Amino acid sequence: MTVIEVEDLSVFAGATRLLGPVSFRIARGGVLVVMGETGAGKSLIAQAILGTLPGALSFRGRIAINGQRVDTLPAADRARLWGRDLASLPQEPWRALDPLMAAARQVSETHRHVGGLPVAEAAAATARDFARLGLDPGERRLPGALSGGMAQRVAFAAATAGGAPILLADEPTKGLDHDRQARVIGLLAEVARAGGTLMAITHDAQVAEALGGTLVVLRNGRVVEQGATAQVLQAPQDPYTKALLAADPSAWPVLPAAEPGDLMLRAQGLAVSRGGPRLFAGIDLAIHAGARLAITGPSGVGKSTLLDALLGLIPPDEGRVERAGLLGRHAIQKLYQDPPAAFPPFGRLETSFRDVARRHAAAWETVLGYLEDLTLSPTLLQRRPDAVSGGELQRLSLARALIVGPRVLLADEPTSRLDPITQKTTLDLLHKVSLETGIAVVLVTHSAAIAERWADEVLHLTPGHEKAEKAIG
Amino acid sequence: MTNAGQGAGPLFGLGAARLTGLSLLALLGICAVIGPDLVGQDPAKQALLNARQPSSAAHLLGTDHLGRDMAARLLSGAQLSLSLAALSVLTAGIPGTLAGIAAAWFGGWTDRLIGSLADAILALPGLLLVLMLAAISPGSWWALYAGISLTLWVEYFRYTRQRARIVLSSPAVEASRLLGLSPGHIIRRHILPEIGPGLLTVAAFGAATAVTAVAALGFVSVGVRPPTAEWGVMMTELLPYWREAPFLILQPVICLVITVLALHLSVGGLHRR
Repeated sequence: MTVIEVEDLSVFAGATRLLGPVSFRIARGGVLVVMGETGAGKSLIAQAILGTLPGALSFRGRIAINGQRVDTLPAADRARLWGRDLASLPQEPWRALDPLMAAARQVSETHRHVGGLPVAEAAAATARDFARLGLDPGERRLPGALSGGMAQRVAFAAATAGGAPILLADEPTKGLDHDRQARVIGLLAEVARAGGTLMAITHDAQVAEALGGTLVVLRNGRVVEQGATAQVLQAPQDPYTKALLAADPSAWPVLPAAEPGDLMLRAQGLAVSRGGPRLFAGIDLAIHAGARLAITGPSGVGKSTLLDALLGLIPPDEGRVERAGLLGRHAIQKLYQDPPAAFPPFGRLETSFRDVARRHAAAWETVLGYLEDLTLSPTLLQRRPDAVSGGELQRLSLARALIVGPRVLLADEPTSRLDPITQKTTLDLLHKVSLETGIAVVLVTHSAAIAERWADEVLHLTPGHEKAEKAIG
Repeated sequence: MTNAGQGAGPLFGLGAARLTGLSLLALLGICAVIGPDLVGQDPAKQALLNARQPSSAAHLLGTDHLGRDMAARLLSGAQLSLSLAALSVLTAGIPGTLAGIAAAWFGGWTDRLIGSLADAILALPGLLLVLMLAAISPGSWWALYAGISLTLWVEYFRYTRQRARIVLSSPAVEASRLLGLSPGHIIRRHILPEIGPGLLTVAAFGAATAVTAVAALGFVSVGVRPPTAEWGVMMTELLPYWREAPFLILQPVICLVITVLALHLSVGGLHRR
């Protein structure tokens, strides 16, 4: 039986078509995965099904849920489906929790008001949910006191407590490290196995593979490929799908290890706490010219803090960071996670580049040369940072750092906000720059796949670095 | 840049409110600068036989209780109020902004020291401080002006410090520092563009406060003294005649209202992105 049926759905902003036409059906117990890069219009599909498209957008087409046409229903009738027939797991679901309400209450509230259970039964149902998800059935803490993974399971319990058989999950694994990602995929796969229906939106081929079902690949709002997930992933027909899959870190070739040069930076017995408890201790690192080091680990473990300690921005509690004698004051440069945040927001990019070139007495021709090496058009400099795409901006910040003549480049998740294809281009360029100039690159990433394939050496930070220290102290 | 509330206006991309405010301000400024020459009357020249006259060809806005030309006196008052407001914007704004940047930049003791000073001034009602200074040297234009500047810098300081702290902790500033760019560069490229529009708002409201303060002190005979033509002084002088000649006292009141309104409107809906 078809649970969700979408026919010729198109979404418009004025006369501009943002999405479509898209058609698909999901049967009971079925899974549909929508894949595509940022801005491809993936979330619009979920919003159209829920009836939460922003008012400025209009749509055409037909949407039916359980055989009943819903797109023509008034907003109030559509809202009545929420929680009972349709549940939505938003991006970064822990942000959807009320920070001032105990975890268990947020879930039992849904059981009571959406599921219609009396108070005592709602509490019992919540305890059952929590036990099933591996949480303490009597969990009374506020969301802020829970770990990210626990908060996420609470949000999942709250979203599904109304008993809705259809779950729409928008980028359910965004910003999660590998372990948590696997757990969320497990939860979602369970929905379909229990007879529910799942529509998941992702840009990650591995997530699509794990969920199975049917796959829709979107590019600029258009469906480029549609079919059984396993089949599309195995033998993609469209060139864009091929490029998207080839850009997935798990498909990257392993880069040859670099010849280590002179020692540039050495950390010995480094221990840092940032305001609160000790983040890590006993870190020993030696960074040689031309080397590529990756630092991975779950979120919150102190990866960025380690970079700041290497930069000398925060003093270590214990241990020391030694710079090679030949390193100038500005020889260590940094790339940021959010490219627009690394530039002054007002004024053209050229101002920023001219300032740096003047400060370091670099000829403008040299600067233009760096831009050319990084396949950037000089006309981009006439724009403001917010008018340049994330991938270009990240390459621009690399070009700006090169003006200084750095020996070590610290990159803090430089590609985590970029789509897979741009991510691959950016990291390939970083590799090329490192090869050609002998700059050592330290890459912080939450993706183990990237770390293994891109770097010569991987440092995996675990919360255990903290425990080991606690055992000694 | 967008203009909230009024939507984008037809002229220069300004909202209707801002356009009105700026036009009024420009008009007031022009009147204050060249108006006295156009009227061609001495604001202090008395003509007792000609007192409390309604509008006529010789006296466009009539004459006051001593037969002085109202138009000349209002314009002379405008000169005084507006120049004092403009001066206080500079002498309160520049030190206040610099103190705010310094407090955000250095933090620690610098921040606490300037912050406590600002809090101490805030703890006093604004006019009280001006009253105290005015009492030390009654009728002195300079005491009035120093008192107003001394109360107004706090607003600039608080605004700048708070915004600059956010800007200084941003990755963009960290990147600029790592790239070796100087503190002057960081102030010029990062802090000033960020606080500029907000500072304009603080300045306009501060100027309005200054204009009101001068008039209020003149009204209670602490600030500018008669026979100087000043709006607050004129209100006091004309108050006894409000029944016989209400059009007289209304004139300085309307001038004051228009000036404050123009200043407030001129920055209405001014914010970035």
